[in-house]
Amino acid sequence: MSGRAIDHVAIVGRGADLWLTACVLRRALGLEVTAIALPGVAGLADVHATQPAIEALHNRIGIDEAALIRRVGGAYTLGQNFTEPGGAHPPFLHAYGAYGRQIEGRAFFHYWLKARRHGLDVAFEEFSPTAVAARHGRLPIPDDRSLSFGRSDYGYHLPAKNYAAALRDVATRIGVRSITADCIGIDAAEEGIAAITVDGEQVTAGLLVDASGDGELIDAAGQADRVDWSDQFPADRVLTALAPPLSSLPIYADIRSGPGGWTGLYPALAGTFILHAFSSRESNDAAAAERAVVLAGVPIAEIRVRPSLPGRTTAAWRGNCVAVGQTAARFDPVHGVDLHALQQQLVNLLSLFPTTTGFAPHRMAFNRFTASAFDRIRDFQAAHYRLARYAGPFWDRARAMAATPELAHQIDTFRAGGAIAPWEDESFSPDSWRALFVGHGVLPDTHSPLIDRIPPDMMKRHFRDMLAFVREEVLRHQTHDDHLSRVLRRASP
Amino acid sequence: MQAGENTGPLRIVIVGGGTAGWMCAAGLARLLVPDDYDLTLIESEEIGTVGVGEATLPHIRRFNAMLGLDEAAFLRATQGSIKLGVEFVDWLRPGERYIHPFGTFGEPWAGVEFQHHWTRARQAGEPVGSFQDYSYAIAACRRNAFEPPQDDPASIRGTYDYAYHFDAGLYADYLRRWATARGVERIEGKVVDIRRDPANGHVHRLTLASGAEVEGDLFVDCSGFRSLLVGATMGSGWHDWSEWLPCDRALAVPCARVDPLTPYTRLTAQRGGWVWRIPLQHRTGNGHVFSSRHCSEDEACDILLSRLDGEALGEPRLLRFQAGRRDRAWVGNCVAIGLSSGFLEPLESTSIYLIQAAIIDLANLIPARGGGIDPRLAAEFNRLFAALYERTRDFLILHYAANDRVGEPLWDEARAMTLPDDLRQRIDLFRASGTMPEYRLGLFSRDSWLAVLIGQGVAPGTYNRLADHVPIAELRRRLVDLHARIAAGVADMPDQAAFLARPGADDAGAGAAMRRVATA
Repeated sequence: MSGRAIDHVAIVGRGADLWLTACVLRRALGLEVTAIALPGVAGLADVHATQPAIEALHNRIGIDEAALIRRVGGAYTLGQNFTEPGGAHPPFLHAYGAYGRQIEGRAFFHYWLKARRHGLDVAFEEFSPTAVAARHGRLPIPDDRSLSFGRSDYGYHLPAKNYAAALRDVATRIGVRSITADCIGIDAAEEGIAAITVDGEQVTAGLLVDASGDGELIDAAGQADRVDWSDQFPADRVLTALAPPLSSLPIYADIRSGPGGWTGLYPALAGTFILHAFSSRESNDAAAAERAVVLAGVPIAEIRVRPSLPGRTTAAWRGNCVAVGQTAARFDPVHGVDLHALQQQLVNLLSLFPTTTGFAPHRMAFNRFTASAFDRIRDFQAAHYRLARYAGPFWDRARAMAATPELAHQIDTFRAGGAIAPWEDESFSPDSWRALFVGHGVLPDTHSPLIDRIPPDMMKRHFRDMLAFVREEVLRHQTHDDHLSRVLRRASP
Repeated sequence: MQAGENTGPLRIVIVGGGTAGWMCAAGLARLLVPDDYDLTLIESEEIGTVGVGEATLPHIRRFNAMLGLDEAAFLRATQGSIKLGVEFVDWLRPGERYIHPFGTFGEPWAGVEFQHHWTRARQAGEPVGSFQDYSYAIAACRRNAFEPPQDDPASIRGTYDYAYHFDAGLYADYLRRWATARGVERIEGKVVDIRRDPANGHVHRLTLASGAEVEGDLFVDCSGFRSLLVGATMGSGWHDWSEWLPCDRALAVPCARVDPLTPYTRLTAQRGGWVWRIPLQHRTGNGHVFSSRHCSEDEACDILLSRLDGEALGEPRLLRFQAGRRDRAWVGNCVAIGLSSGFLEPLESTSIYLIQAAIIDLANLIPARGGGIDPRLAAEFNRLFAALYERTRDFLILHYAANDRVGEPLWDEARAMTLPDDLRQRIDLFRASGTMPEYRLGLFSRDSWLAVLIGQGVAPGTYNRLADHVPIAELRRRLVDLHARIAAGVADMPDQAAFLARPGADDAGAGAAMRRVATA
C-alpha cells in the first residue's frame, strides 16, 4: 500500500453530471464528498433521454422512481422511433427490449430473415413486446412473465433543470456538502491538483472529479489529447426548444429526419422537449429554428442553439483528477447516451475506487475502460448516420462519413452472415444493433445456415407463439397515461 | 464473393485426423444440415498424431452434450477420469502448492466480490486462512472426492464444474466412429499435392499418394504442426511468443496407474520447466515440458523418469514446438484448427478448448451453400481467434512471470521479462486494488485469474472499499459459516470410482442415447 488514504472527494461541476456523481460516491463509498456547484447551463428546454440502466443507479442512491417522475415532470420511454415524414422508408423503433425469442439456442433474427425471404410479411419489431407496447402507448413493467420472453426495459425523459435540482436535494439529504460558486481557483501541483479555492476557502481532497462540462479542472491536472469524432457525425449544431405537453404522452422519443438534419420530440409531463440537430454547412441557426417549428408541428419556446462537437479525451483520469460525463466526452444527441456514458464511468470507478493515493494502476484501468466503452457507444451512434437511407444533403454527407475500423468490421460481419460481432465494453445489446441494422434496411446476404436444421413447421409454430405472446403481453400492462396519472396522484402505480 | 461457383452442397474437406480433425468432423456433422454440406476427412495412418493434451477444461462437457454423447460410455471408451482443477506444485517456490479449481472462491457479499472481503479480513488481522480454503472444488480435490455439481448455483454444491482427463487418441477414435456413422466420409491417404485456383488463390484440389484427387470448397487444416494448408500453402505468418513462453520441448511417457485416482492434474515446476501428471483409468500420463536453453534432453528425461509414481510403460517420446500462433487462421478458403493454427504449452489444458472454440466460431460463421467463401466471415473468425489466443497466452505467462524461484536461470529470466501490456496492467491493477476485470473475448474467468495470481504470490495491497459495508463481526461470522458449509459438503462426498463405473450406452456408433438430439 502506498500513498495517503482517500477519505474525501471534491467534485467540481454542474447539473446531473455533478449531482449523480456526488450521490453515487457518497452513497456507495460512504466518503466525505464536497460538491462545488458552478452555474448551471441546462435550460428549461433541456431534457435527459436516458437508457434503461439508470434505474439501477437511482435505486443505488435511494431515488424513488414515481417520486422522481412526479417531481421533475418526466415520463417513461421505451426507446426511439425513427421516422422520415412523407419519406420512402417505414419508421422503426430502437426499443429497450428483446426482439423475438431464441429458437433452439439460435438468435431469432436469423429465423426472421429466413422467413422473410420465404414471404413472411411481419416486421422485425412486431416480435418485440417492448416495441409493440411502445406503439400501443403501454408501459411494460418487467416481471417473470415478460422475462420468460426476454429483456423488457424502459428509460426516462427527465427535464434537465428539474432533475439536477432533485438530485441536489438527494445529495444534501445523504450528507454531501455543497458549495455554490461562480468560479473556482485552482492550485496545480506537480502532478494533478493541490487545492481548489472557492470564496477564499481552500478545498483539498485525495481525489477530485471534474463534472463541469468545460474541463477547467481536469486540464489543470494534466494535458491530454482530444479525439475528435466530427468526421463521423454530420451535425455540428443543436437547437433545443420547449413545446406544451401533449394530452396523451407517447412512450418513446420521436426522431424525425428532414433534409437538413433531424428533430427529436421527447414527451414528458412538463412539456414536449424538442431537439433539432443540423449542420452549419447546410443551414444557419435562424433557418434551423424555422424548420424546427415546422417539423415539430407545435408552437415552441425557449429556443436555444448550441454547438455539437462529438469527441472524447484520451485520458479521463489525469493525476489526481477524474473527468466524468460531458467533461470526458461529448456524444451526438441521437440516442440519448449522455447519462448512460456517465453511468458507465461511475460503475467502473466504483469497481476500482482507490483506498489511497497510490492509484496509478487504477488510473490506467479507468482510462482504458472509458476509451473503450465510449468508442463502442460512438460506433453505435455513428452506424445510425452511416446507414440511414433518408433523403437530403445532410444525410448524403452522413452516409459518406468515416467509419472506425471497428464499426466497418461490425457492419461487414453483419452484412456477410447476420452475426453481431462481440466487443469488450460494448453496452448496446445485439438486439439494439439488429434493430438499427434492420431499421435502416441493412440485411445480411444470408441467414446463419445452422438454423436450417429447424423444420419450417416448427419455425412457424414458434413465430405464431411469439406473436400471440406479444399481443397478450402488451394488453396485460397499463397505458403510459394511466401509469403517469397514478404517479401524479401519489398512488402506488 | 464468387457466388454460384457450385450449386451443390458445400464441400468441406478436413485435412488430418487426430483430436482436432475428428472433433471438427463431429462438431460440423452435428451442427450443419446434411443436405447442404458434404464432409470429408483425409487422414493417413502413416502420419502419427500428436495426441494433444490429455487434460481438458469443463467446456468439453458442452461439446460432448452438443453431440449427445453418453457420458458414462464416453468415459469408458476414452479411459477417462474426473478433473476438478490443476494443482501447481513448487511454482511459487519449492514447498508451495495451490490448486486452480474449476469453481468459484467464496461468495459475493453486499455486491462485492469475495477476494475483497478476504483481503479486508486478513488486513484486519482476522484468522482467515488461505484463499484456497474458500473453494468447494479445492476442498473436494484435497479429499480425492467427486460428485457432479448440483444445478442450484445458490448452493455451495453448485459452485464448481468439472472436466476430464482422457486418452486423446481414444477420444479421436470415439469421435471418428461417431462422425463416420453420421455421414462424414473418411479417406485414408497422404496429401502429396495441393492445387490452387489461379484466379483467387483458393485451394481447390488435393492429390493423395494413391493418385486419388479430392476437391473441395472449404478446407479445414487439422494437419498439426505442419500446417499444410494455412501455413505451408497459403503462407499465413507466424507470431513467435517464445520470448514469454520459452519452453520448446516436451518428453512424454505413460506409467502404470496408482490408486486412488486424483480428481485433478498435477503440474510440478522444475529447474528448466515443469512436469505434468494426468491420472487416467488405465494409466497415468506424464511429461516434462522444458526449455532446451535451460535443460538438456538427457537431464529432462532423468527428471521425468525420477518422478514417475508407477512403472514406466514405454520410452519417453520427444516433441519439439514453439509457442505462438498463425497471423490468420482463416486464409482464403482454408481454416486452421488445432496445432496448425498455433501452439500453447499444456499448462492450463487449453489445446482441446482452442479446437472447440474454433469449431464453434467456424460453425457460427460457416459459408452458406452456393454463397462462396466470404472474406468478411474470415475477418471475424480471425479477430476472435487472435483475441482468444492472446488472452490465453497472457494467462499462461502469468504462471512464469510471478515466481519466487530465485537462482534458477529459467525462472530468473521469467521474473525479469517484459510482459505484454495487457497482462502487466492486469497484474498491477490487481496488486494495487484487488480488482480483476472480466473480459468478453477470452477464456479464463475472474476466479481463474484469482487462483493463479494469489497462488503465485501476487497479493492485493488493498481491497474495494465497498466491502466495508459488511461490519467486521458479520464478516467474521460469514467466513466461518462458509468454511463450515464447504467442510460439511465435502465430508460425505464419495471418490470418483462409482461415478466412472456407472452403466451407460456402450459404443459410439450404437445406442439410442447416442442419437439423442442435443441443443446446439
